[in-house]
Amino acid sequence: MNIVHSAVAGSLESSDVMISIEPAVQKTVSINLNSSVKKQFGDQIMKVIKNTLDRLGVNGASLEVTDKGALDCVIEARVETVVYRAADKKNFDWGEY
Amino acid sequence: MITAHYFVQTFDPTENTLRKHEVIDFLKQQNLDFASGMHFTVAIYREEELIATGSLDRNVLKCFAVSPKYRHRGLTNELVTILTKEAAQTNQSHLFIYTKPKNRHLFESLGYHAVEEADDVILLENKTNGIANFANQLSRNYISGKSIAGMVMNCNPFTKGHQYLIQKAASENDVVHLFIVQENRSLFQTEERIEMVRRGIASLDNVHLHCSGDYIISNATFPSYFIKDKETVIKAHAQLDLKIFAKQIAPALKITKRYVGEEPFSRKTAIYNQFMHQILPGFGMEVKEIPRKAENGTAISASHVRELLMNNEMEAVRSLVPTTTFDYLCQWKKNRRER
Repeated sequence: MNIVHSAVAGSLESSDVMISIEPAVQKTVSINLNSSVKKQFGDQIMKVIKNTLDRLGVNGASLEVTDKGALDCVIEARVETVVYRAADKKNFDWGEY
Repeated sequence: MITAHYFVQTFDPTENTLRKHEVIDFLKQQNLDFASGMHFTVAIYREEELIATGSLDRNVLKCFAVSPKYRHRGLTNELVTILTKEAAQTNQSHLFIYTKPKNRHLFESLGYHAVEEADDVILLENKTNGIANFANQLSRNYISGKSIAGMVMNCNPFTKGHQYLIQKAASENDVVHLFIVQENRSLFQTEERIEMVRRGIASLDNVHLHCSGDYIISNATFPSYFIKDKETVIKAHAQLDLKIFAKQIAPALKITKRYVGEEPFSRKTAIYNQFMHQILPGFGMEVKEIPRKAENGTAISASHVRELLMNNEMEAVRSLVPTTTFDYLCQWKKNRRER
């Protein structure tokens, strides 16, 4: 999926995550993670984000992720939302699930 | 945590004056002022009582306050979330907060990172490598030379005084990087000012024009609502702006000299210039303060030109600005009349 403009999803509430995404000049994905539980769960959070981006076919994007202790399923949902918003895709393919 | 007891209201303070005055009174209780230029405000109520607020001014989050009774409940998180989403509506994803240094950790926990800290103010941004990426981008414009100078100007509008200062820097250095302050609260918009400068310096090929971006802080945009004392406001602004210039912007282009015009009219700018002499040499930079160019015995000032322009005294304007600016201003006046 092609990131065409910046977008935000999620919130800074406890147990949620806020993600902002921007198109990247190069066809690379860069992820900056801010989390109070980065030491314990940073690798796992990054893995969920990367896997979700891969599945959605995102290859040129820069993400700022501020995690407030979100579970994997929440992180995945927020990544999907922010990518769909930034790609201007309005039709979510429910059949995928 | 927002529960059913809380009620979130968002509004444009320039339109909803009733709610705006509620927010002003609330901020006053916390020893804060309501800043001008804001176009979006969040107010959180519990029953009828206003307990938290925050506002948005383009890409700057401002005027945060949470009632002491309701702190440590995540209300700031809620405010930042709402303001971030509002900013996203207008494609503003790179956001800034100016605050007291003691609030640093609060905003760091919300994904903000310090750009620079001064005695009474800290500037934070919501990007991990924002300033580093900016400096990196800027360094692509590096041009080698034995002496490389930098100057920052508003040019509202571009006068013979500005032109003289730039010519002087250009004649004394191999390379001059000229930053035009980016802010659209002046009579002339950033693009208009850049255009006037571009025309006025066309013959100087060692002068390179840049838009200042978000990291050179203009007088007009530096928020002072959380600092009471006027002198402290100037000091805070000067320290912050000059440290960013010396630590990030100057090294990217290997600038070792900063040129500035002497300031006979504005006390604020004069004090700012003093800080320049205090701060920049500490980072190995030389400060060159150049006496203002005079016309008929008086130093040329852009604010005087604006005044003459508004009073339609075009012949007086003509004597104070380069021909290129004069032609631009005539066209500008014509366009305004037709609008």
